[in-house]
Amino acid sequence: MCAIFLAFVGALALAFGISILQYTLAGFVVGTIVMVAAIGLTLIYGIRGFANFAYGDLMTLGAYVAVVVNLFGGLALFWGTFVAFGVLALVGILLEVVIFSRLEGRGPVAPIVASVGVGLIIQNGLRAVAGTQQWNYAVTAIQDIPIVPGLGIHPVRGIATLVVGLSFVLSTHVLLKYTNLGKAMRATADNLELAKATGIDTKRVTYAAWAFSCSFASTAGVLLGLAAFIEPAMGFKVLLLLFAAVIVGGIGSPYGAMLGALVVGLSQEMSIPLLIWLGRPDVLGLEHATAYKVAIPFIIMIGVLLLRPWGIAGRQPAFAPRAFTLERLFRVLAREPTLADKVEGDRPGE
Amino acid sequence: MAIDTGLLTNILFYVSISIIFAILALGFNIQWGYTGLFNAGIAGFFLIGAYVAAIAITQPAPPIVIAGFPVYPGHLGGYQLPFVGGVLLAMVAAGAVAALLALPMLRLRADYLAIGTIAFAEILRVFAINLETLTGGTIGIILIPRPIEFEPPDPFLNAMTIVGIGGTILLALLLVLQFIGESPWGRVLRATREDEEATMALGKNTFRYKLQAFALGGAIMGLAGALFAVTLGYVEPSISFAPAVTFSVWVMVIVGGAGNNRGAIFGAFLIYGMEWGSVQLKDFAPEALKDSIFYIRLIIVGVLLILLVLFRPEGVFREKKRVLR
Repeated sequence: MCAIFLAFVGALALAFGISILQYTLAGFVVGTIVMVAAIGLTLIYGIRGFANFAYGDLMTLGAYVAVVVNLFGGLALFWGTFVAFGVLALVGILLEVVIFSRLEGRGPVAPIVASVGVGLIIQNGLRAVAGTQQWNYAVTAIQDIPIVPGLGIHPVRGIATLVVGLSFVLSTHVLLKYTNLGKAMRATADNLELAKATGIDTKRVTYAAWAFSCSFASTAGVLLGLAAFIEPAMGFKVLLLLFAAVIVGGIGSPYGAMLGALVVGLSQEMSIPLLIWLGRPDVLGLEHATAYKVAIPFIIMIGVLLLRPWGIAGRQPAFAPRAFTLERLFRVLAREPTLADKVEGDRPGE
Repeated sequence: MAIDTGLLTNILFYVSISIIFAILALGFNIQWGYTGLFNAGIAGFFLIGAYVAAIAITQPAPPIVIAGFPVYPGHLGGYQLPFVGGVLLAMVAAGAVAALLALPMLRLRADYLAIGTIAFAEILRVFAINLETLTGGTIGIILIPRPIEFEPPDPFLNAMTIVGIGGTILLALLLVLQFIGESPWGRVLRATREDEEATMALGKNTFRYKLQAFALGGAIMGLAGALFAVTLGYVEPSISFAPAVTFSVWVMVIVGGAGNNRGAIFGAFLIYGMEWGSVQLKDFAPEALKDSIFYIRLIIVGVLLILLVLFRPEGVFREKKRVLR
């Protein structure tokens, strides 16, 4: 898999020049930020079974906490990230206690609506308190480090982001595979009733999942603020990208989220040269062609939803259709669906 | 006679925008309240309706270049259709897009549907901003003709016409939807919402019913978009069709009571009234709150969403209880 990807990128670089590697690198950096966030988003998706629409705004909140520590507290950004991690963990537990625990068993829509409310409060609360201006973290080292001519990497925005992302992936792996809490989390995500029956304190697990989910959001928010700047809508703007990553990877699966994040990040950034080519007057003459890069992950997401609704890394459920082809689509439209169709179509992500 | 038509015009403006939101809420009520399809892309269908109507009824708009600098990129169209033609086209376009979107999406769970539709609406907005030769870019489409032009121009009479047209459409729509809701078709929609397997076991093709309800809701949202275009006289992509519009419509329907058409209209007038009121109050607000009053309004929308979902999910007006006879 890795070898195929490297060969693919190598061939692209040979054909179109070194700049394609710069886009690939940018794709990895975006993918890493999305990865940290998507792991957190999918954790809560798996355990509580709903799409947390406040997640982007929780990222923003984390980034602002780090701003307070970094700019007003005068401490290094590392400590800002650290404090934001702790604060957001508390925020997560608070959200579960005050709002989401009361919505258990009410289906997926009620918590979605409540989470949109939480997101609106955070986003506009930040606007009201901190204003709409943009902030930047106080970090040194501004020059890119050249690797080969035409290809460079930023020590903070590039290398540090990749290192942080990698450490989060490794610690998630250790947490889920080798600790009792992680095993309990996986069991709860897999089957709540069964986990309860085996004596797992699912309430504690849920609190832990909220804490991890929201503190991952804070770190992803800091990385996002580092990559560009900090403003009240920054998290909401990437929320849909996170959902794309989570769905592409398979909902509820942290490993799927990692893979999905890379697919999303790489496809978005590596589509830029293609879009620039499409934008040339002699090809399509599309204006502002690169603005459409945000649409690429969603095209992939819709493709995955149609062909493999349980995600590229997810496990195929027992009742799932083998593939969702166009022919099948027409057949379904042309006849009355059977109960079996309903059972299949109802559970794409499990 | 010295009637303050300025204030009256302002109030009429509130009524006309509330009517538009009420139509959006009715469309969402068909999809969610009746059928249980949670659409998070209301703003997208609203956008389609507004742009299609605007393109259909405006004069041709060539690009404007002053001293070598492009000032306005122009937009597609200039077909100068009558107002009714624009409205019908907007409904057909939004309904058709809703049906096409529904084909892959409706087979998925509610949360996938929400994510898919909000992604659709946001991508549509990216296109509306960037596809300049079609949509006029960030400036949008301007100089949309009013249904009736007065000579000399009179903002009060304009507002009266808009409220008259909008009110008539809203009443007609309410009657039709009430009738549809009580018809056998509406009964199947509610049955699908309550228990899809059981409805299927009774021999109903629930997928087809869901598709029809989704398309009908989309077409109604397109109608709201067309009205919005002629009410404002321009369309622009960045604020009017932001996700916040979708969230506002959710609050309106949830406040009013999902599944209750009159409740949806009540919710629209109440929630947009809050928005309009905050604009009116801006001049009287203390200095410290002046700049943040718009954000406070959205915070209130958020708090309302949470409180309603937690404590009164059935809304102010409950859905009518239906008992077996």
